[in-house]
Amino acid sequence: MNAPTDPKLLERKDALQGMGDSRLRKEDARFIQGKGNYVDDIKLPGMMHMDIVRSPYAHARIKSIDKSEALKVPGVVAVLTAEDLKPLKLHWMPTLAGDVAAVLADGKVHFQMQEVAVVIATDRYAAADGVEAVQVEYEELPVVLDPYEALKPDAPVLREDLAGKTSGAHGPREHHNHIFTWTAGDKAAADAAFASAPVTVSQHMFYPRVHPCPLETCGCVASFDPVRGELTTFMTSQAPHVVRTVVSLLSGIPESKVRIVSPDIGGGFGNKVGVYPGYVCAIVASIVLGKPVKWIEDRVENISSTAFARDYHMDGELAATPDGKILGLRVDVVADHGAFDACADPTKFPAGLFHICSGSYDIPAAHCSVKGVYTNKAPGGVAYRCSFRVTEAVYLIERMVDVLAQKLGMDKAEIRAKNFIRKEQFPYTSAFGFEYDSGDYHTALNKVLDAVGYKALRAEQAARRADPNATHLMGIGLVTFTEVVGAGPSKMCDILGVGMFDSCEIRIHPTGSAIARMGTITQGQGHQTTYAQILATELGIPSEVIQVEEGDTSTAPYGLGTYGSRSTPVAGAAIAMAARKIHAKARKIAAHLLEVGENDLDWEIDRFNVKGDPARHKTMKDIAWAAYNNVPAGLEMGLEAVHYYDPPNFTYPFGIYLCVVDIDRATGETKVRRFYALDDCGTRINPMIIEGQIHGGLTEGFAVAMGQQMPFDAQGNLLGNTLMDYFLPTAVETPHWETDHTVTPSPHHPIGAKGVAESPHVGSIPTFTAAVVDAFAHLGVTDMTMPHTSYRVWQQLVKSGVAL
Amino acid sequence: MEVKLDKRYPLEVSIEQAWAVLSDIRATAACMPGAAVTEQVDDTHYKGTVRSKIGPAVMQFGGDIEVKALDPATKSMQMMAKGADKSGSSASMDLAATLEPGETAGTSVLVGAATVLVSGKLAQFGNRLLVPVSDAMLAQFADNFRAAAAAVPVAAPAQSATTAPTAEGTSHAPTAPAAPAAVSAPAPRPAPAPVKELNAIALMWTVFKNWIAGLFGKRA
Repeated sequence: MNAPTDPKLLERKDALQGMGDSRLRKEDARFIQGKGNYVDDIKLPGMMHMDIVRSPYAHARIKSIDKSEALKVPGVVAVLTAEDLKPLKLHWMPTLAGDVAAVLADGKVHFQMQEVAVVIATDRYAAADGVEAVQVEYEELPVVLDPYEALKPDAPVLREDLAGKTSGAHGPREHHNHIFTWTAGDKAAADAAFASAPVTVSQHMFYPRVHPCPLETCGCVASFDPVRGELTTFMTSQAPHVVRTVVSLLSGIPESKVRIVSPDIGGGFGNKVGVYPGYVCAIVASIVLGKPVKWIEDRVENISSTAFARDYHMDGELAATPDGKILGLRVDVVADHGAFDACADPTKFPAGLFHICSGSYDIPAAHCSVKGVYTNKAPGGVAYRCSFRVTEAVYLIERMVDVLAQKLGMDKAEIRAKNFIRKEQFPYTSAFGFEYDSGDYHTALNKVLDAVGYKALRAEQAARRADPNATHLMGIGLVTFTEVVGAGPSKMCDILGVGMFDSCEIRIHPTGSAIARMGTITQGQGHQTTYAQILATELGIPSEVIQVEEGDTSTAPYGLGTYGSRSTPVAGAAIAMAARKIHAKARKIAAHLLEVGENDLDWEIDRFNVKGDPARHKTMKDIAWAAYNNVPAGLEMGLEAVHYYDPPNFTYPFGIYLCVVDIDRATGETKVRRFYALDDCGTRINPMIIEGQIHGGLTEGFAVAMGQQMPFDAQGNLLGNTLMDYFLPTAVETPHWETDHTVTPSPHHPIGAKGVAESPHVGSIPTFTAAVVDAFAHLGVTDMTMPHTSYRVWQQLVKSGVAL
Repeated sequence: MEVKLDKRYPLEVSIEQAWAVLSDIRATAACMPGAAVTEQVDDTHYKGTVRSKIGPAVMQFGGDIEVKALDPATKSMQMMAKGADKSGSSASMDLAATLEPGETAGTSVLVGAATVLVSGKLAQFGNRLLVPVSDAMLAQFADNFRAAAAAVPVAAPAQSATTAPTAEGTSHAPTAPAAPAAVSAPAPRPAPAPVKELNAIALMWTVFKNWIAGLFGKRA
């Protein structure tokens, strides 16, 4: 939009607090006063409490479950096991990935902390006492934790329920612990590129299992009304409408009588997309007892049993010319999916959008293969603050480009500039078939290199390396990533057969205020603030009088929810499109009121002016009033619209991140000296919220790269499921972030916005690894496995012979 | 998680006195802080409990004990204990204990090798404490064992000589059901040492002291 210069126009524009305004978050007033309304705040009359009996073993047969003692505990009203769910056919449930998962262990436990039985009691304490009184007798079975071990011919059969099934939801199964093998790209072309390439490099890398660990754990309050036959469930869900469909299909209750409400959510990061056994059991218990049942996880349960992320063992190969032009890419992944395949990906993509792994580079031939494997670990594989498996893909390609640069002795910025997709190549179709919408990588890279004084940093590093008495190693990490977000076009993306559109319903009230209801659900992203801003600019109504509502399936239009940075690219577009329907009707009303033709009107910020005579105008407020009493003949009264937006393509935000680390040669302590993040998310709706999103994403990326891990011992015990062990950075550890941006709007999005919340997570993780590895690059090191804790870095110092 | 423990505790009592305690599973169990044998199932199988309190966490393990071998000739005992706690932990211990003559007459050494396997909450929470806590528990065990053995009247040398042939005859059997009776019968049952629940404060102090000592390179 052309920015107005007339002070009066500027004043009117500013009054709207529309797009581009750093409007303060509307949500914060209640959050900072402790007046949010989270699931655990919900207390219904007569509400029961549920707690879960979980397996101490990672793999064991259940010989017996004795609930008699538990039923004697005062306050305990019911104990449910798989046997009790069998008549309802609810002891197993379908997963989003086409597999089934045990709701309560059916004869066998497949991972530590798996749900074995639930206890329902009149209060939370009685439920916990009841859990302790349930006696379960186990017979331990051999534990398989390594996916490579799982694929050996004589490996124990983990999923006995799948015995004899030679094909799964994603094609043939070649082994009893094999789930699927998924490929993308052109293998013959990639192999040909490698066969004739003068230079090739390969690198094995492991992206460890981590957990999104939102501050609020998962939980629900299920309330079945036996008189009306209606089920209401308050739930920490990132996708309430999809959950409603699943609950209706599983329970047989008509979808019109199922209501799912996602109240305030304390962070999701992919952890709250799926349906967990606790939800199913609470719903069943509520139906059976005819009373509300609350289930809230504790932290240990959250980290141990709900959806993890990553756990990809990746082999990458690049083929190139001697001067660093990449000719081909091959990737082979073994993916540890845990006990059940419960990845949350669009149905047709069992490895998500991993085939974005050609990155920001013009690579003529590429092929990738991902093999999913069962192990005795918790199920999951969700997009932890990223679009589906994009974090893994970006990590792979960015690390591989560094490995190639090191082999060729090239500068890591130079090799990137040489291989970038050039500005004039957009829209660009990658070797994997993605159509990149827009980008200007060279401009962004140069902006960052200038801002940080890249040459001087490299000179300082060279001097440091030359000095044998230097106490610290210095590393510079550079990552130039492209993300694919906004899933997605329904021709490619669906979940359980429902296309991945999103929706908006707008009503303009007679006095000129408005309500917008959305199919998404905020978990901290600030939807109430930013959605209103889009509407304010589109319709000329002040943000302050626009209510945004989402999360209640009985009032909101159907939508696929919030994850994978899809809110702005999909739902943001839906608002703009619904607003434009209203705008078109408003124009008709304005023409009628002003007694001119529709084409004789100009739109200006908040009003329609008669062309050449702006003194004759009607503001949107005037029009709203008229919509309810004076509309042209043949036009319906009212001013409202609904739009279901099916995106024509994904959006492709990108960024250039640079990190400088200093590593203490005596202790391995790695200090982030500088972190510079340039993001291009297209049109910027609220720069302050973008900045906050980027700070949050960088901090979570820092957590993953520098500290988060889920170590298992040989028996399958998870040694890191409390916040004593699992690293959540606070202000103490978090480095200072410098942010910057360029703006390359998406050509296919109604307002040109691309989505931003996840880019900093996706982009920063390989940047930290790149910086740490770069500190050792002159010693021939090409890979170090995360997290880069002091101890692990110190081990590398010792191995490389540079420890003091 | 798996913890391997190899311990040697010098005892100020004769090897016979010590054997009188070690060969009596109830007496030995009573030396373990918080532990007790609650039921004898048959000659080699028992049921028992271990209760320990660390800070606010009370763990009460109930389970089975199997005496796999008891050899008076070599003064060695092998047992397997396996149990679960209500709050979602399970543990097993494979223990081989042998008595050796001490450096001076009338003294002996208790040599123990144990493999402890822990699953569930205890492993998850306690992994970094498991080794020091086990060390401290065993140190308390050794103190109690010394006291219990000291209470055993010094047996006449002839008694131990008479038991030797019996022992040779059974030493190859995996279990020696007759042997415990044969050995412990002549010696009156030692006065049971007071069953001490694991003393949390003393235990934490020991753990802390060992940690400090570890910082300066000398393990207590």
